[in-house]
Amino acid sequence: MIRDGALHKLSHDVRNRGYSAWMTSALLFAFYIILYYTEWLAAPARMLGFDSKWTLYGLLYSIAIVSGGVYVIRKYRHNRYQVVRTLVVIATQVVLAFSVPLILKFFRQPEFYFSYLWPLKIEYLTPQYIFQLPAPFILYSFLGSLLLVPVLGIFLGKRWYCSWICGCGGLANTFGEPWRHLTSKSAAAWKFERIAIHTVLALCIALTAMLFITYAVGSRNPEIARQTYRFQEFYGILVVSWLSGIIGVGLYPLGGTRVWCRNFCPMAAVLGLVQKFGRFRITVKENMCISCGLCSKYCEMGIDVRAYAQSNTSFTRASCVGCGLCAEVCPRGVLRLENVARQDPQQAVLVRIGNARPQGRWAI
Amino acid sequence: MRFVIIGNGVAGATAALALRARDPDASITMISGESDYFFSRTALMYAYLDRMTLRDLEPYERQVWTSQRIERVRGWVRDLHAPSKTLTLDSSVQIGYDKLLIATGSVARDLPWVGWERAKRGLVHFVTLADLERCEQQTRRGGKAVVVGGGLIGVELVECLIHHGMQVTFLVREPWYWPAALGGEEGLMISDHIRRHGVTLLLEETVNEVECSGDGHVQAVITDSGRRYDCELLGVTAGVKPAAGWLAATQTPPRTARGILTDAAFRTSLPDVWAAGDCAEIEIPGAAPLVEQIWYSAKRQGEQAALSMLGDPVDYRPPIFFNSSKFFDIEFTTVGRVNDAPAGSRQFYWRAPEREASIRIVEAAGAVIGFNMLGSRWEHTILERWISERRPMEYVMPRLREAQFDVEFGRLDLAPALEKFLSRGPEPEGAKR
Ligand SMILES: Cc1cc2nc3c(=O)[nH]c(=O)nc-3n(C[C@H](O)[C@H](O)[C@H](O)COP(=O)(O)OP(=O)(O)OC[C@H]3O[C@@H](n4cnc5c(N)ncnc54)[C@H](O)[C@@H]3O)c2cc1C
Ligand code: SF4
Repeated sequence: MIRDGALHKLSHDVRNRGYSAWMTSALLFAFYIILYYTEWLAAPARMLGFDSKWTLYGLLYSIAIVSGGVYVIRKYRHNRYQVVRTLVVIATQVVLAFSVPLILKFFRQPEFYFSYLWPLKIEYLTPQYIFQLPAPFILYSFLGSLLLVPVLGIFLGKRWYCSWICGCGGLANTFGEPWRHLTSKSAAAWKFERIAIHTVLALCIALTAMLFITYAVGSRNPEIARQTYRFQEFYGILVVSWLSGIIGVGLYPLGGTRVWCRNFCPMAAVLGLVQKFGRFRITVKENMCISCGLCSKYCEMGIDVRAYAQSNTSFTRASCVGCGLCAEVCPRGVLRLENVARQDPQQAVLVRIGNARPQGRWAI
Repeated sequence: MRFVIIGNGVAGATAALALRARDPDASITMISGESDYFFSRTALMYAYLDRMTLRDLEPYERQVWTSQRIERVRGWVRDLHAPSKTLTLDSSVQIGYDKLLIATGSVARDLPWVGWERAKRGLVHFVTLADLERCEQQTRRGGKAVVVGGGLIGVELVECLIHHGMQVTFLVREPWYWPAALGGEEGLMISDHIRRHGVTLLLEETVNEVECSGDGHVQAVITDSGRRYDCELLGVTAGVKPAAGWLAATQTPPRTARGILTDAAFRTSLPDVWAAGDCAEIEIPGAAPLVEQIWYSAKRQGEQAALSMLGDPVDYRPPIFFNSSKFFDIEFTTVGRVNDAPAGSRQFYWRAPEREASIRIVEAAGAVIGFNMLGSRWEHTILERWISERRPMEYVMPRLREAQFDVEFGRLDLAPALEKFLSRGPEPEGAKR
């Protein structure tokens, strides 16, 4: 039942795909189109003393994360996991993603975002770009992508990045909080997710490989170089501008907050694969679930958590970003995020149907 | 083989899925008067709170019933004729069965108040989807509500009414909130918590009369002490009883007492008719007749009854009791026997200094028999194990940490509890409060 009162009704409307939600979505779309395809934001940026519209965008992004983060910390103040996690998200955005690049620029260093790594930022592992940077940056980038990502992923799961560090996830978990429940929980949406995200990952790997080849032999084979840069441009428009920005954020009020993270992000795809082999899992307390469905409803990745919980199945799903909200909203304390050294053998269960399937190492 | 199940609650639905898992060819039909699809009754409050839609309350995607070939029939069963193995619905449709499971759940208990039969509007229960609809119709921001009956459902209804801005008076007959499960100290902590949410919680108030306007709308209740509490919504949450009454009007009712009587394999007195879940009363040799009315038992019984219908030998014995619930923001886990502890038992109670959290451990004859844990999370299977292993409190206390299930970074600090235990030890039963 919707709460009485104009403000409560509006709040319900904007959270539940009402008119105001469609309007919010339209505004977000418009903002991103203006940002990517016009120079209208250059003037206000200059007024603030920034030399580029992207710095202004960074400022707005940080404001969204800080204010959303304060709201989230207040809302979940009784849950230390949420408080600590959100503080880290805020700090990462404000320091690593916003201030540090500005400071670097001030000292005439290259603009570098320490919170992003390959494959989310393709340039950070491609020789054309990365070898122009000073040695420490190169070292950070290579060690980060090739060592830090998989190692932390094995020990802590995908969450260390997707819901603690990443700006996309950070925005979703702060500013996006009112819409997290909109992600589709259907088996069909899950199927789409698996196809889509691995397609983007394949594109991303192919592009990286082509950029390496071009670096090696491009000067002798101008046709290869031409095709590579065309592909790079296509990838930039489709994946970076449209899927991660315009659609990813524009659809918050209609499709939930993790449209990009769930279906398209190549970093999430890699970390998801690592997670399946690692220690992270969601432990289900046996026989305590009342099938209320709050965990599924508030899962921003569209995982039907209840299907596992009500069949007493602890599980690791590739898509799980470990935000911990399922455990937070569960009124019976059934769920717990854990890094366990050994995956318990799954118990045989009575029925395992619907939007959950037997946990196998190869089930993604 | 044609299996028919009356009731699509957790007992009926679990049984249907269990039957299908074992018998790919049987015809399985599930009949319910309340809803088209199995839904989670335990989550009724979240629909009321607007945290969930009614559709969200369904534990399985709808296609599951199609893919599992479980036929769903909507309607109330009015007649059961055992010799011809036929059911009759209120629509006069007849349905034949080879094997029948009755899983009709519970109905709200009525109370013997003066004026009860005159109350046509404003008096609500909180058990069914129809109840939810009636509650919603009577909910009005700023309006006065009285809720009578201090159990779990009562506090859930109170939380919903407060959320919707009503002025709520919560009348509890007992000296503290829910003495059936909580000790005095816990009752006090929960009472404080409930009051902090703006509820007027009054203890030791027994209602004996309800006042209505001429057109039957509830206006007030009057208690033993002569006090009168105005209300436009009167929530009665004084427990539930097995839904067995409807069988009296059928041609061939099975034997009933408090509920539908069954043996330990869930067989009723009628041939090829089983009963399970809230509605069943199980006669286990050497024990008192058993009526279990919680989600977990209904799920367990539904599964076991299905096995029995398939011909497996079933000899039901309830496991060590466990349950969980939530009072506004305080979570509650209970395992084993706490408030029905035998004479001569020892108790250890500890209240966390800066958190609304407490633990109570009960020991009898040198072995722990029960735990009441409030405000923090516990892995109940470990607590159960300690009970079944008959561990003494001295063994359990230093290991209590192993059973904690709090979120990362949020673990309740048990050091002061252990300190209190080591310095003061448990207290004899009777010293509580
Ligand atoms: C508000 C509320 C909160 C609760 N919270 C908890 C909790 O947190 N934890 C817990 O353990 N338990 C809880 N319970 C108890 C729990 O919901 C029940 O124990 C459980 O639902 C019983 O399941 P069941 O399948 O036996 O019956 P039910 O779920 O009651 O299902 C019975 C079904 O049979 C149908 N039916 C009845 N008679 C007929 C007929 N003649 N013809 C056709 N259909 C018929 C009804 O329409 C109903 O759909 C709660 C109960 C309520 C009301
Ligand atoms: S929120 Fe908890 S009780 Fe509800 S369905 Fe999920 S695991 Fe079960």
